[in-house]
Amino acid sequence: MKKKPLQVLVVEDNAGDVRLLREMFSGEKVGSFEITHLLRMSEAEAHLAKGGVDITLLDMGLPDGHGLETVRRARAAAPNIPLIILTGLDDEALAAEAMTQGAQDYMIKGQIESRALPRALRHAIDRHRMQTETDLIRTHQMEFKDEFLSHVSHELRSPLTAVRQFVSILLDGLAGDLNPEQRQYLEIVLRNVKQLHSMINDLFEVSGVQAGKLKIELQCTLVSDAIAYTVNTLQGAAAAKGIVLSSDIARNVPSVCADPARVRQILVILVDNAIKFTPQNGTVTIQARIFEEDPDFLLLKVTDSGCGIGPEMTERIFERLFQASDPDAADHNGLGLGLYICKDLVTRQGGKIWAKSELGQGSIFSVTFPIFSLPKLLAPAFSEERQAECPITIVLTEIGSQTGWLSNEVRAEQCRGIRELLRESLYSDLDILLPKMDSAGPAELFLMLAMTDGIGGEAICKRIRRQLDGSDRLRQAGLTHSTSYRPLETIKRNSTESKEEFLERVATDIQELMNVEISARQASNG
Amino acid sequence: MDSRKILIVDDNADIRLGMHLRLKANQYETFFAADALSGVTEAQKHRPDLIILDLGLPAGDGFTVMERLKQIPLLAAIPIIVVSARNGLGNQKRAHEAGAKAFLQKPVNDAELLAVIRQALGEPAGTKKPSPYDQGSV
Repeated sequence: MKKKPLQVLVVEDNAGDVRLLREMFSGEKVGSFEITHLLRMSEAEAHLAKGGVDITLLDMGLPDGHGLETVRRARAAAPNIPLIILTGLDDEALAAEAMTQGAQDYMIKGQIESRALPRALRHAIDRHRMQTETDLIRTHQMEFKDEFLSHVSHELRSPLTAVRQFVSILLDGLAGDLNPEQRQYLEIVLRNVKQLHSMINDLFEVSGVQAGKLKIELQCTLVSDAIAYTVNTLQGAAAAKGIVLSSDIARNVPSVCADPARVRQILVILVDNAIKFTPQNGTVTIQARIFEEDPDFLLLKVTDSGCGIGPEMTERIFERLFQASDPDAADHNGLGLGLYICKDLVTRQGGKIWAKSELGQGSIFSVTFPIFSLPKLLAPAFSEERQAECPITIVLTEIGSQTGWLSNEVRAEQCRGIRELLRESLYSDLDILLPKMDSAGPAELFLMLAMTDGIGGEAICKRIRRQLDGSDRLRQAGLTHSTSYRPLETIKRNSTESKEEFLERVATDIQELMNVEISARQASNG
Repeated sequence: MDSRKILIVDDNADIRLGMHLRLKANQYETFFAADALSGVTEAQKHRPDLIILDLGLPAGDGFTVMERLKQIPLLAAIPIIVVSARNGLGNQKRAHEAGAKAFLQKPVNDAELLAVIRQALGEPAGTKKPSPYDQGSV
């Protein structure tokens, strides 16, 4: 069978270099390579998108693209096509960096040995194929593991449901009166069932941690809400041991940029642990402060008067399956996944987590979250190359409830889905930021800032409306929506202000506008 | 007023009995089905006010039941609460899209189940007493 020629795309604007490259293939058998030559990055992107290319040779200095940007664009246009960078002698460091961005190899112009080029191409293709295969195998393994864990946790849940149901039926006296001893023993059963339940949930959760897909939705979040929730949830468990669980929130703690559900989850794990490892009549305190060492972060501290751990253990406890070994402590059992899950969640929200402890002296677990800052969120939209006078449009989308029977949780869940929907439909081709989901009052309010880039606010509004009109989950949940926009005047950085000052000014303008908008809507909602 | 009728569709007999005891104690009348097919036929027979539906069932699954019920005009409007051991997110989304009023994950908290039932039936909240042993989480 005749082998198909390898399709080589050469993106290079220097005619001399192209001629040299072509000559290097002249020693090859006719029909083994077919070379397509393009001068510009935009042409290359279009060509790659059509498919059929086996390998790309890319110059990093093109009339319409420079440096690593060209590598990213080539990878974006055809993520599965191997890429070799062509570079000058002075740019070798940059080319090496391109390798970390997904290029298979680089070659220095003027130093390419003519016979070496075809061989290098074949090797790059092989390497790329092997890499792809390894990735595929790994993905399959991960999928299998996730599927397995999900299956196991499913199978365990059904019998557990029955156990829990009947224990609470007995405890509630639905099958007759209990004597105090029977009641005490059944309460022990129930406590253990609940623990088993939380282990099963951890098991499922951790399969997500390893696949790196515990979902995180960053938004403007109040830690005081999460603290109140945690205290509320675990007050009972603390009281049962005579432990005083309290919170101490500094005045005016700023909001953080984090996922509120995840902040709650992290706090519940930390406080639950603290209660477990603190003996009768101890104390557990949650504190919130601005982090002194770095005022861009908020510090949450969970302090207990418990048994503590040796200082040499304070790092290891965040490892997967690590267990404090204390066989006497009957209620310390767990899968050793909680802190591991915490660390993953905190790190992925841009924060840090650490512990300070000494045996017998109690423990302090500290977590930081970045403080919510509009200027920081705006920064990418005002990056150097975009700093031209792009008009900004604020688009407000309000989601409200018609029927009122939805629980807060259900509504929040629906709203999260819609937020995701908007993100998917708009992020893809517009530079849009979704910085705030304000749940003040009866309605959920989404604020969006859009760099319009020529597409007017009206067009964006229309698109959002169409998208929301077509949303089944919105309709089924009986939620209403409305979307409006307000263009901001073209904002220009004046020569005397620094970039930071400029961003601060824009952010203040937007914040003010938003406050006006929110209070107007709250007023009209009654 | 007659007590409200609830159909429990679950293939686990223990769970059916447990739910029955809890619902009976809260003055609901219960009926049962152990597979998808009888889920539909029992619904036709008893015209329940609400259906508690498991997803993993023999002879079809919970989604099949919801689909079939939707096609029967007299039954299409019965509120459905899905109670499943399957993992959230995807299934939850699918259940809502199929018209379920709520999705609860096993093991269910009785207080939560009763609250959701009341909500779906349009009954005022808190008229019946949930178990004190199911308050709070973990």
